[in-house]
Amino acid sequence: MSKIPRNFKLLEELEKGEKGLGAESISYGLTNQDDITMTNWNGTIIGPPHSNHENRIYSLNIICDEIYPDKPPKVRFISKINLPCVDNQGNVMVEEFDTLKNWKRSYTMETVLLELRKSMASASNKKLQQPEEGSTY
Amino acid sequence: MAALPKRIIKETERLVSDPVPGITAIPSEENLRYFEVTIDGPNSSPYANGVFHLELYLPDDYPMCAPKVRFLTKIYHPNIDKLGRICLDVLKDNWSPALQIRTILLSIQALLGAPNPDDPLANDVAEDWKKDEKKAIEVAKEWTEKYASKKEYSEN
Repeated sequence: MSKIPRNFKLLEELEKGEKGLGAESISYGLTNQDDITMTNWNGTIIGPPHSNHENRIYSLNIICDEIYPDKPPKVRFISKINLPCVDNQGNVMVEEFDTLKNWKRSYTMETVLLELRKSMASASNKKLQQPEEGSTY
Repeated sequence: MAALPKRIIKETERLVSDPVPGITAIPSEENLRYFEVTIDGPNSSPYANGVFHLELYLPDDYPMCAPKVRFLTKIYHPNIDKLGRICLDVLKDNWSPALQIRTILLSIQALLGAPNPDDPLANDVAEDWKKDEKKAIEVAKEWTEKYASKKEYSEN
């Protein structure tokens, strides 16, 4: 396997996101449609069923800077959430979230969002009391 | 990194030793499948005197699939969108392994000389183009001067 350059990897991710080819429980797209650097992204996670997140939609901001995907993106919740890997500003803490901590170049924004959703549904997290629905940081 | 296929080595050598007039393609030192490209705007087009920067990548399946190419310089053209993505048949369904990097870049240069608003990628630009071609050409010229002059790019 050759090493796909940042921009072409992001174009692939964008296309997958635009066409809705990925998982239905999450979505992502560019914050600005004319951002030629493809740095700022919006993400959403639909709260997993049978958890305190059920029927909620969480908004996130994802920053893919110049060293993405050699290094993980910066991920921040815009919607308030109570989750052990998220600090009190909404930032997903690299050290506390395995997908970012043990980042692999083959991972995508979709990987990050799906793994966050999995963490929300985990046995230890699904019953955590959550902030008021619709509140933001 | 896996060894580079002979075909890619040959193509790269020829791009350097026998370059296409008005086109440059230089492989990156870190990744020999990734090229920095420039294309001069064709003389008789609104893109004349502009130098457009592009990036090109040869995926693992190349030449069974087309190279990936994108404009890095902003351009007002009905078949190129705001992110620099190009709508061109030979980059998609009409790709054939008999084509090469140089033929693809020539096709892109030809596309600059012959915008096709009936097969648009940038819908708003295509609509402007169809409504008032004269005005659209003026805008394309303005953008060329603003974003694609040699001076402008080196300053950024």
